[in-house]
Parts: sequence; C-alpha cells; structure tokens
Amino acid sequence: MAAKTGVPIRKACVIGAGVMGSGIAAQIANAGIPVLLLDIVPKEATNRNAIAEGAIAKLLKADPAPLMSSAAAKLITPGNIDDDLDKLADIDWIVEAVIEKIEIKQSLYRKLIDKRQPGSIVSSNTSTIPLAQLTEGLPEAFARDFCITHFFNPPRYMRLLEVVGGPKTDPAQIARIAAFGDIALGKTIVRGKDTPGFVANRIGVYWMQAAVIHALDLGLTVEMADAIMGRPIGAPKTGIFALLDLVGLDLMPHVDASLAASLPAGDPYLSIRRDFPLLTKMIADGYTGRKGKGGFYRLNTEGGKKVKESINLKTGAYAPSTAARLESADAAKGGLRALVTHADAGGQYAWRVLSGMLSYAASLMPAIADDIVAVDQAIRTGFNFKRGPFEMIDELGAAWFADALRKENRPVPDFLETAARAGSFYKVENGRLQHLGLDGSYRPVERADGVLLLRDIKLAGKPILKNGSASLWDIGDGVACLEFHSKMNAIDPDTLTLIKQSLDHVGKNMKALVLHNEADNFSVGANIGLALFAANIAMWPMIDDLIGQGIAVYKAIKYAPFPVVGAPSGMALGGGCEVLLHCSAIQAHAETYIGLVEVGVGLIPGWGGCAEMLIRYQPQSAKEPKGPMPPVALAFETISLAKVAKSAAEAKQLRFLRRDDGITMNRDRLLADAKAKALALVAAGHQPPKPAELRLPGPSGKTALTLAVDGFVAQGKALAHDRTVSLTLAEALTGGTTDMTETIGEDQVNKLAKQGFMSLLRTEPTLARMEHMLSTGKPLRN
Amino acid sequence: MPAYEAPLRDIRFVLNEVLRIDTFSNLPGFADATPDVVDAILEEAAKFCSGELQPLNQSGDEEGCHFDDGKVTTPKGFKEAYAKFAEAGWIGLPCDPAYGGQGLPKVINFAVEEMVCSANLSFGMYPGLSNGAYNALHLHGTEEQKKLYLPKLVSGQWSGTMCLTEPQCGTDLGLIKTRAEPQADGSYRITGTKIFISAGEHDLTENIVHLVLARLPDAPAGIRGISLFVCPKFLPDAAGKVGERNKLACGAIEKKMGIKASATCVMNFDGAQAWLVGQKHKGMSAMFTMMNFARLAVGIQGLGVAEAAYQGAVTYAKERLQMRSLGGVKAPDKPADPIIVHPDVRRMLLTQRSITEACRALAYWAGMELDIAAHHPEAERRQAADDLVALLTPIVKAYLTDHGSLAANLGVQVFGGHGFIRDWGMEQLIRDARITQIYEGTNGIQALDLVGRKLSVGTGRLLRRFFHPVTAYLETAAAKPALAEFALPTIKAMAKLQQATAWLAQAGLKDPEEAGAAAHDYLRLFALVALGYMWCRMAEVALSKQESEERAFYQAKLAGARFFMAKVIPETNLLFTTMTSGKNAMMAVPDDYF
Repeated sequence: MAAKTGVPIRKACVIGAGVMGSGIAAQIANAGIPVLLLDIVPKEATNRNAIAEGAIAKLLKADPAPLMSSAAAKLITPGNIDDDLDKLADIDWIVEAVIEKIEIKQSLYRKLIDKRQPGSIVSSNTSTIPLAQLTEGLPEAFARDFCITHFFNPPRYMRLLEVVGGPKTDPAQIARIAAFGDIALGKTIVRGKDTPGFVANRIGVYWMQAAVIHALDLGLTVEMADAIMGRPIGAPKTGIFALLDLVGLDLMPHVDASLAASLPAGDPYLSIRRDFPLLTKMIADGYTGRKGKGGFYRLNTEGGKKVKESINLKTGAYAPSTAARLESADAAKGGLRALVTHADAGGQYAWRVLSGMLSYAASLMPAIADDIVAVDQAIRTGFNFKRGPFEMIDELGAAWFADALRKENRPVPDFLETAARAGSFYKVENGRLQHLGLDGSYRPVERADGVLLLRDIKLAGKPILKNGSASLWDIGDGVACLEFHSKMNAIDPDTLTLIKQSLDHVGKNMKALVLHNEADNFSVGANIGLALFAANIAMWPMIDDLIGQGIAVYKAIKYAPFPVVGAPSGMALGGGCEVLLHCSAIQAHAETYIGLVEVGVGLIPGWGGCAEMLIRYQPQSAKEPKGPMPPVALAFETISLAKVAKSAAEAKQLRFLRRDDGITMNRDRLLADAKAKALALVAAGHQPPKPAELRLPGPSGKTALTLAVDGFVAQGKALAHDRTVSLTLAEALTGGTTDMTETIGEDQVNKLAKQGFMSLLRTEPTLARMEHMLSTGKPLRN
Repeated sequence: MPAYEAPLRDIRFVLNEVLRIDTFSNLPGFADATPDVVDAILEEAAKFCSGELQPLNQSGDEEGCHFDDGKVTTPKGFKEAYAKFAEAGWIGLPCDPAYGGQGLPKVINFAVEEMVCSANLSFGMYPGLSNGAYNALHLHGTEEQKKLYLPKLVSGQWSGTMCLTEPQCGTDLGLIKTRAEPQADGSYRITGTKIFISAGEHDLTENIVHLVLARLPDAPAGIRGISLFVCPKFLPDAAGKVGERNKLACGAIEKKMGIKASATCVMNFDGAQAWLVGQKHKGMSAMFTMMNFARLAVGIQGLGVAEAAYQGAVTYAKERLQMRSLGGVKAPDKPADPIIVHPDVRRMLLTQRSITEACRALAYWAGMELDIAAHHPEAERRQAADDLVALLTPIVKAYLTDHGSLAANLGVQVFGGHGFIRDWGMEQLIRDARITQIYEGTNGIQALDLVGRKLSVGTGRLLRRFFHPVTAYLETAAAKPALAEFALPTIKAMAKLQQATAWLAQAGLKDPEEAGAAAHDYLRLFALVALGYMWCRMAEVALSKQESEERAFYQAKLAGARFFMAKVIPETNLLFTTMTSGKNAMMAVPDDYF
C-alpha cells in the first residue's frame, strides 16, 4: 500500500456529529477544506442524515460561532455511516469523534478498513482511551495510518491540538497531520505520548481537582476561590468554580473517573481525588452549570430582579454573591511568589494548589512529553493559562520552589532539582530563548519553518525606535515591524508619533513596514479616555489637533512609497481598524475582529475611516449597481450599525479586507506571512495608490438617509441621539454640499468627518456614552 | 468692637440678579420663596444677627464655656439668644416641612448662615451641628428615627453632634476604635472616647442627639468596617418625651485658640444605648453625605468671617487719620488724611472685598445647585447639579476658609497696633477663623479630595459640569466689548487651568505623589478661575444696570471686578508654574534632612 504522506489534505471526514465532532468539522471547513460529517442513522428515522444535519443547523446558531463564514458552512456535507462510507474513497483524513467507548470505536474502525483510501490518515479525538487499546487487533496498515488528534472545546477557539502516535504509527503521517493542523487549522501542535490525559488534561485536571479540594479544606467561599484561581495565578478569570459552571459540572466526574482508572498506581493525582457530595447532589438536581439550572453561581430571577447568587460550599444553600476581598489577590500584582507567600487564606490556597500542580508537572517529565516547551504550550493553549507550569516555576524561582517544598517535607521531583541547580527552566542566551533538558543542559526553543515571532526578535535585539505606546523592530530582509504596546493597544498621540517616525525611518533605510503585535488585540481603537477627559475640560483645540494628526499620519501610511502591510489578530476596532484601512495590504489572522464601532460611543470615524469605506464600497464588478448612492448606502450601513466582522473571512464580506488581502490560520505564522506579502509587493514594484476621486450624492443623498433613519426612530429601533450621530455620519459620507456632477477628494470627506466628530463630542449623550464605555466596557443606550 | 451690618444689598444682588433664583420657581420651596418673602427673611435674619448675636461675640470669646463635673455652661446670653433663634424658626429654615421645617431653598439658608457666621461664629456652631445631624438622619434614618428625632432637631428643642474623631484618629477614620455591641432588643451599646466634639455638651437644649461612628464586633478592618449610630443624651420615649440619662458624659472641654464660646468636648461613651443609622459597615458613606453639606457650611463660615473682617477694616480705614496721601492732601481740614487714601491700605481692603464678593457668589451658586440636585424634575439635570456640587465642595471649603483667615489677617493689619490688642475684636476673627481651615477635613485633605477623587470620577465628568458652561459663557462674554475687559483675563486663567488639569491627569496617573504635591496649588488655581467666572457674571449684570438709580452700587461692582482681574487672578500664572514644577523639590529631600 503506497503511503500518500506527501499529499496535502484536500478532503476530510468527521465521524460523530456531537459537539466536538461538528466543531472539528467546522474548523476544517473554516480552513476551506470540504468535509463530510457523518453520524449514525437514528432509529426509525425518515431522514437518515438527521443527526449530522441537526448538528450543522446547531453550528449556524451557536455563539461563539464555530464557523467563520457562511461560505465555510457550505463546505460541510452531512451524511450517515450506513449509507455514506463509500464516499471515503477520496478522503485524505478521517477524524473519529464518537462516544468514548472502546467497542464502538473499534467496530467503527473495522468498517473503515475497506472503505478508506490507502494512505489516508485515521485519527481519534479521544481524550481518555489509550492509543494502544484503540488499535489493538487492527491490521498493521491501519495502525500505521492511525493516530490521536485531540482537540479542545470549542475547536475553533481553543488553539491546542494534541497529536499522539503509537509505536506503529508512520512518523510521516504524524508529520503530515501535524503540518495540516498547524498551517491549515491554525492549531498549536503539541506532540503527546500515549499516556493518560496526554499532556494538557493530565496537568489541567490535576489543577482543577486541587483547586476544588483545597478550597473546601480551607473553607473558602466560591468567590474567594475564584478570586485567586483566576487572573492572580494567570488562569482565565473564571477561576475554578465559574469555570466548572461554564464547562458543565457533570463533566468533572467523567474526566476524573477515566483519568483515575488509567493512571499508574501511586500517581499523585490519585491522592488528591475524593468524593465531593455537594457536586454529586448538584448534578442530580439539575444544577449542572450554565447549561442547566445554574451551578456554583446562578442568576436568581425570582421577584423580577436578577440577583447573582453563589452556593455555600458547606451548606449547599444559595445566597446573594458577595465579592471576595483578599489582599493576596492584590499582592499577586507583585508576582506569583508574592501571592503564594501571602499569609491570608488566598495566599495559602494559591500555594497549596500551585505547589501541587507544579511539582506534579515536573515529576511527569519525560513520561508525558519530550520537553517542557510542549507542556507549557499545552497548558497555555489548552487551558488558556498565561504561563505554563515550568514558566510558573521560573517565576517563583526554581531553587526557591524546591526549597519551599523541602521545608514542608514534600518530595522534590528530580527535574526540579536539576532546574534548581541550573537556575531556571528557561533562560535567554545570545538573544535566544533556551529551555532545560532532562540532562541538565539547555537547548534553543525551536520554531517551525514559517514561524516568526516578535517576542523572539525582541529577545535578540533592541528596537529601532520606541516610545511609551509603540516600538519599531527590524524583522530582517529590510522589513520593519511596528508594534503597538499601549494599554489595550489604544492609539494615542505617542502611537501616532511613532508611526510617523517609523514611516520616515523605513522610507530612508528599509524596504517595507508591517504593523503587527502579539497582544490579545491588535488595537481597540483611539484612546477614548484621553479624548473624553480632554472634552470634559473643553480642550477643543487639542482634540481638533489630535484628529488632524491622526488623519495626516494615516494618510502618510497610505501614500508611503513602500508597502505597509497590516497584520492584525484579535480586535481591530475604530482607530485600530482605520489604521489597517490605510495599509497597502492586509494579512490578517483568521481570528481578527474588525469594525468601525465609533457610533457605539456616539461618535463617527474621524481618522479617515469614512473615506476609506467609501472607496472600498465602489463597485468592483459590472454586477454591482452603479451611481454615487450605493457605496454611500453600504458604508452608512456598516458604520452606522457598528458592524464588526466576527472573523477575517467575514471582514472580506464586509470589505474591511480587500479581495487580495491574505488570511493566516495560525497566529504564530502571521508575521512571517505578512513579511512575505510585504516583500512580494516590493518585488512587484509597489507604487502608492492614486488619490481617490469620489462622486458623492450630496444633500439629496443625505435626505434619503435621513428618511431611512427617521423610519428607524419612528419604529423605536433608534434613539434621538442615534439620529444625531447617524445624520452626522450621513453628512460626511454624502460629501456635504457636493453633488453627483462633481468629484471630491478623500481630504474633503475627512474634513467633513472631523467636523462631525467635533460637533458630536460637544454633546452630552456622546460624552455619557464614552464615559459608560470606559467604566463598564459596554455601550450605553441613551 | 467692630459693628456688623449684614450686606443685604450684596446678598440680594447675587441671589436675585446674578443667580436669578426667580427663574427656578418650578422647584419645590422656590415657589414660596418669592422676592418679597426672601427679602423679609433676609431682613429679619440681618436684624437678629446684628441685634442679638453680634453683641455676644466678644463677650462670649472673653468668657468662654464653663465645665463643672460633666456639666457645660455656655457664656452669658447664649442660652437666651439660642431660645430666641430657635423660637424664630431659623434652625428649620431649609428643613423638610414634614418635620416642621419651612422647606425653603438651601441657597437662602446659605445667606442666613453667612450672616450668623459674620456675627458670631461660635454661636453658629450649635445650630450648625444640629443641621448636620438632621441631614444624616433625614437621608439615612428609619421612618421611626426620623419621626422621633427630626421634629425636635428642626424646632431646636434638641441639638445634634457628629462624633467622629478619637484620640488616635482625625483624618484617618479607618482607625476608629469605639465599639458598638448589638443588644437583644435590636439596639446597641456604644463604648469609647470621642474628642473634639463640638456642642457635645451644653445648657442650650433639653437633649443632645449624638451621631456616633463606631465599629461592630464583626466589622472588617479599616474604613469599610465603620457604622453610624444615633445616641441621645437622654433616652426619649416614642412620643419624644425625654427620659432616663444615657450612659455617656462629657469628660472635659478643650481650651482653644478660637471659637471659645463653642463647647468642644471630650465625650465618654460607657455602654451608651444607641441605634444603627443606615446599613451596617456603611457608616462612612452616610457620614460623608452629611460631611459634604458640612464642608460647604464651613466654607460659608470662612465667607462670614471675611465679610466681618472687611467691615471692621473699612470702617476703621475711613476714620483713622495718619499721614498724608502720596498724591496730595485729601483732608486739608484734618490733621492727617484717613488711611484709606494709601495704596497699600486699599490693596488690603480690595483684596478682602473683591475675593469675598466672588466667594459669596460661588458659594451661593453651589447652594443653588444643591437645591437643583435635590429637586429638579429631570434626572439628568439633577445628576449634573450633583456632580457640580461634588466638584465645588472642596474648593468652596478650602478656598473660602483660607480667604477667611487671610481677610481676618488683613483686617488686623489695617488696624495696625489696634488690631493686635483685644479691645477692637479684630484679632478674635483671626483666632476664630483658624479652625475653619482645619475641621471637616483640613484644607490639605480638600485639595487631595479634588485631585484624587473628584478629577477622576467618570474620566472627568464632574469637571465637565464646570468647564463646559464656563468656557461657553466666557467665549460669548469675550465677544461683548464692554465685558471683554473681564472675560479675557478669566479666559487666560481658564487656559492655565485646562493645561494644569491635563498635566495633573497625566502626571498624577503615573505617580500619585505628583498629584499630592500639586494638589494645593491646583485647588487655588481652580478657585481663582471660578471666582473670575463669578466676577464676569456679576460684571455683566452691573454693566446692564448702568442706567439704574443705583448706579454707584453697580459701579462699585465693576471696580471690584477690575481689581480682581488686575491684582488677583494673575496669581493663576504663579500657581501654574509652581504646580507644574513637580514634586521633586519636596519629595527628593531625604527624610533625615528634616
């Protein structure tokens, strides 16, 4: 049988249309790969594909959306395993995601043996069954092509994909699926071993169990536990109990039982598991978390008011939730050691949980993974921790941690001793990040081909330019990267200054510029706190200047004589969107959420967003309607409704991204892709665009939009101030006093937008909206 | 001893012509406050203050209060004056009619308070404290508590106190030790020692209602563990009949620099029965609502003293003959010219007067907004007014009391050696005014409140309530040729204030010590801009009345405005410079330097 290891995966099939299976299918479709989604034929069903079809329908409704675009949805074909196994003939990868029962899985595999094409990969999404058992008794040829691909829920958003092969698995097949998972599906690949819970769950479930039992032992309230087990330790803010509510309380006993059943005797996990009668009772009573009647927290709506309540871990009674006040939670700002050495209950709790979890992780090397990089990546991307266990030990200090364990007469894992002697698990040498091997020597942390990380570049050198809000880095081959790093990457005068300086520098010394950063969000927009404060003290000229400066700097990006490529990931909103709109090209991470959201705070885009959207909505084919009004109407709709694309693919539909802008699935590959795009533009002889000449409808267009807005107001869909904001926007988009017999430049549109912006900033409802957004993070409807 | 004549014309000018209180007749209380009624009230108050209170000011100071085995006797004449004051209904003037008050606007009461403070600051303490207790109970008390205590406080039959300070804690109330033990009947037993308790014990009323901050057994540590209690000297029955003596006593009265006729007591609570006011552990927020009123009231004390000092000084300056005018003989028939001809004496008098008049306008504006915040039909307008009052409170408290002290000092200076001896009563004003800069939060604390708390609320929302109307007004005013003379210097000062505010927001965000170091200068800068704005508004009115019969009155207003614009508001430049020079001149000094 000829292995097809060199062949890319062009078509896939997912068997098992449950939450995980359908989510995996969705992510495969998000990558642009057609995928067959199969499940069993329900008993006495008229529609034999009912289960898979139902799963696809659910995908379309789920929030957060598993699908990145409507086009992706069309790539999923439903079917069933009784009628459709013949279709496997041209499938390159079959993912099994059926119930966690060995007999069922094996009987399915036997059915696949004759139907799959030779050399296709078969993988299981099992989280609990060892690979050795799964392939037991199956033909060698099947075992050679078989591995475990363990996704995390939800597959689109959780970055971790554990890939586990057995002794019989062809390493080339492992490499093939790992490459696909990495490049096409955008996942962080961690190569696990065939051990219980693989890497992430082995340590993560220990953490959850420890977090629960120590909270009980220390008599903490759920709020206190969550106040420590969240951000202070670098975990998601849900902490432990709110996390259990989120994932479902009933999941816990399953995971616990299967892990316990397969762990070797003497494993430390076995000593911390115990009965939790309250949990059992809650599940029995239907308190399974957010999907059920509530969990450790619930929203009590009796009496017409929504009261957030929490359960008393001792009595099981609900009472109104009260915020925990723990000094240790604040102390955590001074580092992990400050937290775990704090004398209060929170500090003791953090120490008990983390000391157990971290020494457990150290004791599992090399049983579960070949190196600590894999383990840290698994915990970061599978449990959304800020740091993995070895990174956490380094923050505590390896020697300090080992000493602290010794003082409590607890065992110190050998590998931790090694690190204590060496100094740390990671170190930077010659500008490169190194990690500690079990042999006590350091070796460089390797990045895959096509992965370029700004954090690596930052270790290796100094920025070309830097101020409090942004820095310029040399990323090689004549390309520079401009990094925002203000709070939430809000764009402020310092950012604008550094953009301007960067353009000057690159123009004189380099070939191209990439705008990119590795924060959660590319940029949440202009610093509205600054604008609000300045407005509150009536410093109108200063604000006017700031807008003018933004327009000028963004214009300089657009007309730079070299290519400027925007490479966003996460949110790119308001002024953070406008900066991208002025780039020569965009290479966006698939998970980019882009939009002009100014109306949410009672403003309109002031930094060129209005003009750029008018340009983007000009007809691009003969099929699109002609005349001055259609682009205005489209821009008006997008901006006045503050539409935010929920993915890069959707951003293309909304035309924030242009047709030839690129999308990168794996975030770690974004900078390299953007750099390549910039160099390609250089090679193609990049020329700045010609200034647009816009034919806009003028007052007649504004009248038409006014009628539409008045309609919304009359229907109660828009408020009086929405009308004010919308009409200010309409004034700018329709070109003020122009008419369709003449053309006007983007400068004029920008000027109108700036005037509109300033007039709105003087209104009470706009200022109230800005204040509300700043204090609550949510828009105010006033 | 200086005579005091209430500046009724000036007061009416601010109320009727500048603030136009008649335009607020849609608010509760204002409908009844027709110009006739207001005039009558003010005239009666003026008469009472000049006739009854002012004559007791110097004698009260000389005699002081007497302490004898827990009993405190006020100086001669106080008891009778208090009885008449209460009888005339002055205590209940701004109070809720449901409890026997007259429900008149707060701004009217501000004017009355000013007159009382000019006439006899010590006397004003007694009804002032009752007013604080009234406010706390009115806002946070139960229906039962209100029914029991408020009518007595409003009528003046009982008086009130605020028991906050303890030997180990003044500014930092988180250190309070006084304990409150819950009792089976729902009441509490208070044990502890409070000091500096104004009106803690005296002979003016049949009962004294103490509002006490104390800590419950299960209280969290610090400022979040403090509760407020009402603790009467005599336990009343439900009908308000005074009964058994509660277990509390005055241990001593303080010997003080000033306000000697006001009894400042050490109060010992020895398991005294008390009742919770408001929520457990939320005593500070309850106390703060009353403290905010009280801070404005202290600002009014500063205003009152300043007015009294000016009146004394100006009378003397017209009579006292010394030297000849530098510009030529002014009173050839006399052995020397009256000292009012000398530039430096004028500088002192006009400094007193031009600032005092603007302070009056500013304080009354805050009072007006207090009424709007309480009664306006639109929630947004109420919020805006509340914001403005919150912003102006530290400024009114600190600047007006600083000015009270300054004006009292200038008053003594105008008197020369005669100011320094006691007969003339001028030095008493300095001694009396001094405490106003200290209590209800020292003026340093007021400045911190402004920069640390008030600036950051809603990313500057409170500031908007001042900057928007004021900049808009000044822009319009600058365009009017006759008014530009006043508007332009104020606009300049405003620009400095805007820059200073932006500087503070940035520097203070990075380093709270910068904010602390700048606070005092910033508060004064802010105050001067506010006073400049008030002068513009007063000048605008005066300019429009140049044809009236009272031309001289309005000309005098313009003269005051001119002095302020030429000689006072330029201090903003200095303040801006010192403030933005940063903290290092203070903070970089090593501790062992001191």
